[in-house]
Parts: sequence; structure tokens; C-alpha cells
Amino acid sequence: MKPAQFDYADPRSVEDAVALLQQHGADAKILAGGQSLVPLLNMRLARPAVIIDVGKLRDLDYIRDDGDALVIGALTTQRSVERSELVAREHPLLAATTRYIAHPQIRNRGTFGGSIAHADPAAECPALAVALDMQITVVGPGGARVIAAADFFVTYLTTSLEQDEILTDVRVPKLTPGTGWSIQEVARRHGDFAMAGAICTLTLERGRCAAARIALFGVGAVPVRAPEAEQTIIGQEPNAALFEEAGARASAEISEPLADIHGSSEFRRHLAGVMTQRALTEAFSRAEAR
Amino acid sequence: MTPDLPKSLSDLPVTAPKWVGKPVNRIEDPMLVTGRVEFIDNLTMPGMLHCAILHSPYPHAKINGIDVTAAESLPGVVAIVTGEDAERWSRVGYTSPEGWGTHCMATDKVRFAGEPVAAVAAVSRYVAEDALELIDVDYEPLPVIVDAHAALEPDSPRIFEEHDSNVMYQRDFKWGDVDGAFAAADHTYTERFRWHRVGANPIETFGVISQWNPISETLTCHGSFQTPAFMALGRAAMHRLPTNKVRAIGQPHGGSFGGKGGGRGIDITALLSRKAGGQPVKWIEDRLEYLSAGGGQAWDRFYEASLAVNDDGTVTGLRVKLLDDLGATGEGFGATGAAKPMASFTGCYAIPNAEYDLTIVATNKLPASPYRGMGPPPHNFVLEQMMDIAARDLGVDPAEFRCRNFIPSDQFPYTIASGNEYDSGDYDAAMKKLLEMADYDALRAEQEQARSEGRLRGIGIVSTIEPGVFDWNAYAVIGQKGVGVPEGVSVSIGNTGKIIVRVGFPLEGQGQYTVAAQLLADYFAVDIGDVEVVAQDSLSAPTNFGPGGSRLAVALTGAVLGAAGKIRDKFVRVAAKLFEVQPEDIELMDGKLRVRGVAGGAQLTVGQAAGILIHRTDLLPDGMEPGAEATFVWSSPDRVPPDDDGRVKSYLTAAYACHLVVVDVDPETGKTEILKYVIVDDCGTRLNPANVEGMIDGAVAQGVGAALLEEYVYDEDGQLLTGTFMDYLLPTIHEVPATEKAALVTPSPFTPLGAKGAGESAIHTTPAAIMCAINDALLPLATRATEVPATPNRLWTLLQAAKQP
Repeated sequence: MKPAQFDYADPRSVEDAVALLQQHGADAKILAGGQSLVPLLNMRLARPAVIIDVGKLRDLDYIRDDGDALVIGALTTQRSVERSELVAREHPLLAATTRYIAHPQIRNRGTFGGSIAHADPAAECPALAVALDMQITVVGPGGARVIAAADFFVTYLTTSLEQDEILTDVRVPKLTPGTGWSIQEVARRHGDFAMAGAICTLTLERGRCAAARIALFGVGAVPVRAPEAEQTIIGQEPNAALFEEAGARASAEISEPLADIHGSSEFRRHLAGVMTQRALTEAFSRAEAR
Repeated sequence: MTPDLPKSLSDLPVTAPKWVGKPVNRIEDPMLVTGRVEFIDNLTMPGMLHCAILHSPYPHAKINGIDVTAAESLPGVVAIVTGEDAERWSRVGYTSPEGWGTHCMATDKVRFAGEPVAAVAAVSRYVAEDALELIDVDYEPLPVIVDAHAALEPDSPRIFEEHDSNVMYQRDFKWGDVDGAFAAADHTYTERFRWHRVGANPIETFGVISQWNPISETLTCHGSFQTPAFMALGRAAMHRLPTNKVRAIGQPHGGSFGGKGGGRGIDITALLSRKAGGQPVKWIEDRLEYLSAGGGQAWDRFYEASLAVNDDGTVTGLRVKLLDDLGATGEGFGATGAAKPMASFTGCYAIPNAEYDLTIVATNKLPASPYRGMGPPPHNFVLEQMMDIAARDLGVDPAEFRCRNFIPSDQFPYTIASGNEYDSGDYDAAMKKLLEMADYDALRAEQEQARSEGRLRGIGIVSTIEPGVFDWNAYAVIGQKGVGVPEGVSVSIGNTGKIIVRVGFPLEGQGQYTVAAQLLADYFAVDIGDVEVVAQDSLSAPTNFGPGGSRLAVALTGAVLGAAGKIRDKFVRVAAKLFEVQPEDIELMDGKLRVRGVAGGAQLTVGQAAGILIHRTDLLPDGMEPGAEATFVWSSPDRVPPDDDGRVKSYLTAAYACHLVVVDVDPETGKTEILKYVIVDDCGTRLNPANVEGMIDGAVAQGVGAALLEEYVYDEDGQLLTGTFMDYLLPTIHEVPATEKAALVTPSPFTPLGAKGAGESAIHTTPAAIMCAINDALLPLATRATEVPATPNRLWTLLQAAKQP
């Protein structure tokens, strides 16, 4: 478990990092918190010629209140997000989601931007990005561009980031008033990647569901929304039967979930429905309480 | 001659023991928690090289050739060895059933994915791993057998061509009139069970530094050895060396649980050092290697069990048919795990007739290793499920059903059907205490309530034996012959009364150094800090084995007290001469030698007595050997080889435990949540209750892992799918329940101080208890979980099937 030989660079600016990416192309790999990359290096499953350690780009470590959204620098650790008073006050769903990521030791090093750029379909941050329509800022040789979360995740561990681009920040929209939320996941152990999970928001207006978002993770090559399930409840008066129906819809509308030793495709499909139903139930009770 | 060893705490020469029997803080811990213990990977030596091992990617293949020329020319590479070197300088392994051993590296073929094929010694582990990529092996894939039943088919490919089948061992043991018992029974019950591969996962993997000395032709190995003396003996056999030419030095190490057999790693580094002209070679097994090619896999079993029961709930017969998939070679003493259940075959129950139809088969998987418990945990899981199946059918409460079949407390020592003798116990009292602590009636009422709300609540109640103090005779039937497992220590007392005890086993984590210090501190009435425990290497230590088979606390107690007794006898004679009385008039009490029955008379302290033995030899009785030191080697008394039916008095002690566990199974996700866990256990005299509790806590964790999480999964092509801790799921603190515990103390009449082996502990009980609880939860759905671990996917599949009309 020792990595193959590589060269190492630690740029001090985003521009330098981008220049290095341009120079080395597919031979380079960005190292942030290292929680996914380092094991891959040690197992020699990843063997980049150049490691670009962005750990010195400290000005990418921040959480900023930007009115209707929080803006989070890519190098902000998951632990910082979890413990931020600003996040706790302005975005309890984000805070709750972060606590589902692995364990504190990992969250101490793992970065918010790194998790999104790594794009593990069973991870929580990408699912939250999809659920909330986060705006992802990336910088390349031509400057910055913003990618909507829906366009960002391409397939398993693959994003629409170009080879010479680096993720710099993520804009996380706040929940509107009257919106309840929930994250539910079922994993083999506390802190494991989810066998299936659901993140839901539900907005109540005069007793009816004015808006709903359902994002599912752990069940496909990318985190996905469940539009049919969302449509099932939008405009309706929420109740237990409706959430059960929405769960069944969500379960039915996802494409074939990936099977592994922990769960068959059929089981994960079933779990996606259960998680959806549970998340909607909890989101509704939170919405009512607001 | 065996001296009279104290049979109970009150026999110790102290008015009131200050250390033994108390939850004394472990003397090992300050060094451990401050990071000052020297583990093998901390150790470095001048000229040391680093080894990396090339493992076969194929589970079954012929090797047509190996080309190492490119690897040899990589700068930094010093030596490369392959199966050719192993054939030249070493033997076929001796730890498998006879005829099923291999060399430490593949010679003509590979038999499991992960089998070592070649190894490199280089200036760094990085370079060594780079070199592995340059070695070209010409494999010719052979048909792969993963399924144990398929391996039994007459036309199955052979793992060893020289054998006419893949069956390593087959024997049908019958004890009593089993057929008669089943024919006469009012009820018989039969069920099949599957226990998937689980195993030991110490926090530190195996590691070794081997150095061949070409001048003296000696081999020195530092390593994370559980049993250095035994390891050294094995190396002498493997490398055709005289036993006094191999020195094994056991480094303090981070646990074993049976997973540090490590023979291949030592042998490979020994060959590399020899080829490198004597430079020391270090190999630290990494976690990928540990999981796929190390000592971490055990117990891959298919069971069919039957119970014969009368209307009154008396169990009269037990049949267990086991197909044990030992993997490719059966090396590392894995086969002993199929023999050990005979030491407690019928559990806590008086079942007079029993049958064990045992088949051990080879497949193209990693050879199974020993694991804490050494085999009975799956057997106990099967027996306890059968007890519940019978109880339910007869409409008897499972706790009550067990009580009806317990060996009565006035029947000890009690010989079970398979021949082992249980020393002592009061199973009824333990069960009563358990039910009282758990408030059993209230739990059943809560269960009714939960069920009426559609929840799947279950209560598991089991009782099991922990055979303690292993003897080789327990494994004689499968070829590991021998009687006795001697454990020796040397104790010496200096002229200031400070004590040194020299032992042959390294620090491993169980707290035995503390036990040795407790015993000597009380025996000679000194502070525990006045006792220093020194671990010696295999050429220095007295005859010893070390930890294994729940033996060391008992064996060490025997050895320490035996040595202390010999020193006391010298002290007594010295004092008798000085005080001009007969030795029988002198007693050692509270650290003083004095004339029996004379208050306020002359006395001698331990330090003074030792000082005389060292510096005033003129005062010694005629012919007395100077020095206050003694060596004593203890072994279980009254052990003999098995009889013709395989019956044998093997393990010396029978600790036991009753567990009660409450679970909820989520009907939608199949996840099991442990709500309550209560334990009553009895391991006789508790030498250090804190040690015992630690043993229980750790074993409960491993039991939870086995019941719910851990499983080595191979695909049909023989590839391991659980090669990292992402997929081989160890329980974490979040999955392990806090337990409520109580102890009963029924001293063993056979051991010093009445202590029983307690090191394996709850691993014998927890998997059975959790599975009983899950099956109790599933009862309203008329379905049954028979596969371990009971994963969410498995339980959900059962629930789905049960829902079908």
C-alpha cells in the first residue's frame, strides 16, 4: 500500500493551480483533504504523474452569508461546515447533512468542495447539491464559470469539470420560509456510504404543499431528483398516504440501482422509497412547526 | 514434582489480598496510552531492507514461469525470491492437516487469490512495491472451486492433484446411543444453517524483521508474534535448522485474536535475508494483504442440526453435521477450529447422546485461520437456535426450556457426551439472575405492546460454555497430537525485596503482566509497582506457549504461584536456621517469615531473606543453592489422549455465560437495532475483574460484528469482494451496545485460585443471542433467519417472502 512515484506541486494561487492543470492535463490530480484520493493512490488504483496539492490555497476556506444563499469555499472542511454557527442558524439542513458524512476524523480533513468534485453517488454533499440546485463555481484558463448542480454530475465519480478547471466555491441556496426538510439514509453502519438515502424539502402554503424537492443518493451513478414523486405531492394536502405513494413513485422512477454486496438492486430501489417516505414525513412535520 | 498451589484466594500467604481479585489498573497501560511501546514497525536496524510480496491475482492457476530480470535491475532492489528459493531452503508447511501443506511461496501452482508467488527486498517499501510490477509471472488459469458443496463432487477439479478428492478430513463421531435417542424421541427437529466467513482483525497487522546470519547459520526474527517460542519451533522445522539456532523475539503488539499466525511472512523474509547475504529484512503486512492473504478469515460453515426432545422438554439427543470450508490449504491450524466444539459440544445442557458428522473440504479461497473462540461460536449459534426451535414448538418459554435441560449444579464435575469434563457451574442461578436483572416479564409485556403496533421486537436468551485452558489433546483427532501445554516463568527477588518475573510471551493487550504482578505483590506483600515483568525471547524464556485458547491467566497463575512457592520454601528454610526452629514451624505471612503461633517474635522480611540468599551465603542451610529465584512450569493436570471414539478431557475449565438481548428489526429496511443487552457470566475466581470486563466488552463487539456485519465475500470466480474495511464491516462504537453485567463466582476445583479461562468470552455467546433475538422478532411472520450475518438485505428478503400469501 505505497503509491507509485509522482511529482508534487503546491501552488499558492488558483491561477497557479490552473496553470499546472493546463501543463499536465490528464496526468495531474488535485489533492485537497485526501480522504478519497490518498487511499486510491496507496492502492495504486490512481497513479497520477503529478499531485497538485491545493491545501495552501487558504483563501478558499470560508463560509459567507450572501443573502438568499450561503457561499462555501471549496477548501472548507466538512467539519467547519458542521460546526459553523452561521450554517446552524441559516441552513440547518446543510448542518444536518454534514453530520452524516463518515466520521469526525474524516470530516476534519475532508473538504466540502472535494466531496462534490469527487462525485461519489452514495455521498451526501452531491445529493444535497442536487436537492438544492446549488451553483458550483469552477475556474479554468478562461476564468470562472458557474455550473448548476443538475449539470455537474455526469456519472459515477465523473463531473463536467474540465481537466484544466478547479472547483473554487459552491453557492448553497437557503430554504424559503415555510419549508421543512429532512435527510434520511440507511447505511450498514453509522458513517458508511448510504445503501440508499433521500433528502427532501417541503414548502407549505395554507396547508398545501407549494413546493417539494426530493433527491436520492446511493441508488444510481449520480444523485438524482425524483420529479414524479415531487409532482405527486405538490399542490396536495400532505398526509401519510400521500407520502407512501410518493415513496412508491420515487422507488419506481429511478433507473436500475447499482447492486453490491451490501444491497441488491431490488433492495436499494425499495429502500429509496422507504427513505423518501420517511424524509417527506419528517420534512412535513418540520414545515408545520415553522 | 508439583507443589501444592493455593486453591483459593484465602490460601495466599496474606491476611487479605490487596491486589488479586481487585480491578487493578493495568501496569501495561501507561506505556501504551503515552505511545512508548515499541511495536514492530517502530523498529529499524542497520542495513535493513524492506520486503514487498507479489500475490497471485488468480485463485487457481498453474505457474509456467516467473521472470524477475526486469525487477532485479531496478535500482534499490537487493534480492528477489520465488518458490524455487522456498523449495531449496525450506520445507512444506506443517500447520495444515497432513498432506495439505504448501511452501511459503507457490511453486508449481497457486491455490488462492493472494497466495505469495514472489517477494522483493529493497531499500524501501516503495521501491519494493515498484519492483513487484516488473515481475512477469506466466499463469495458466485452472478451473476455480469456490463452493464447498461443489468441491465435494467427484468430478470437481482438485486443489491438490495428489489427493483423489478435496476432502481434507471426514469423520462421523457418535457418542452414546444417538440413533436410539432419535428413534425414541417424542419430537425431533432439524434445520440447516449457514455461517459465512468472518475473522480476526487486530488493530495492528502482522509484521516481522528476519535476519539470517550466514556465519553462525542462525535465524533471528523480531515480530508481532503471539507465541514466540512456538513460532521459533515452527521456523526451525520450516528452515531445517536446529531449534537452538532460531531466536524469535516477540515485540509488543496490537492484538491478535488468532490472526497473527503469519508463518509465510516470516519464512519469506527469512529467505530474502538469506539471499541478501544476511541483511535484515522487514515486512509489515498491509491491510489489503491482511484481509485477502493473511490470518483474518475463519469459520466458513454449512450446518445441519437435529434435536431429539421428549414431551416434558428434555433434550435427549443432538446431531450436528458440519461441512467446514477451510480454503486452499488448511494452513495455520485452521482445522483445529472444527475440533474444538467437541470441548463443549452439548453446551450447558445435559444431553446424553450426540453425533458430530464432520467434513473439512478445500476450496480456492484463503486458508481459514484460527479466530477468538476457535470454532465453537458458530456451533453455539446452531445449538441455541435449535433450543429455541424446540421450545417454541412445545410452547415453553426459551429461558424455562434451557433451565429444564441445564446440567444440575450438584452434578459437577460433569462429563459431557463428547468426553470433556466441566469443572463447576450453577447455570440455573445464572439464568435466574439474568432474568431478574433484565426484568424479563416486563420485557415480554413490552414486546407484546410493540408487536401490537406492528414492530418486530425480539428477545434472545442463550447460555453457553467457554472452554478454558486449551490442551493439544483437544485437537488430536484432526492430527495435532500432544498432551499438555506447559507455561513456565522465572521469578527472582533481589536483596531489596524487588521482584522480577520473566515470561515468554510479549505484550499483546490482555493484561496478563498485570495478573502476574498482582499475584506476586500479594504473595510477598509488596507493592504492585515493586514487580517488574520482563518478556524474554524464545532462546531465553523458560518452556512456555503464551496466550491462546483462553489459557494464559490460569496457566500463568499456576506458573507464578509455583515459582513463588519454591522461593518461599527456600525462605522458610533460611528463617528456620536463623531462628533455630524446624522449617515446619516457620510461615510466610504478609511478607514476613516468622515462627508460627508466636506473636511479636523474631521475623525476617522478604528482602532480608533474599539478601541472605544472595550476600550471606555463610548463613544458608547446608547444601542450599544460593539466590532467591525459581522457575516453574505449569500444565493442566490429568490430561490424556482421546479414546477411540474421539472423547477426551481436553479444556480444563468451563466458564459460562447467560446473555439476554432485545432487538428491533425494522420491517422496512431489515436493519437490526440492539435495544438492551444483559450479561451474567461466571469464570470462577476473577483474578482481575476489570480485565474480565474488558474481555467481555471486546468479545461482545466481535459477536455483534459476526451476527450483523462482518462477512468475507468471494465471487464465483474466487475473487475477494471485501478486501478493504469499506466492505468488510467491523462494528464501531455506534454499533456495539453498552451492556449491563453481573458476575457469579463458582471457583474451579481444578485450577490455582479457582480461576477459569475467560479470554474468549462473549464471542461464544453474542452471535447466538442476537440471532435468537432476531428469530424471536420474526416469529409473528413465521419465518426464520438461519444465515449469519443477518444483514438488512437478507432479513428484508425473508420478510418479503413471508409477506407472500
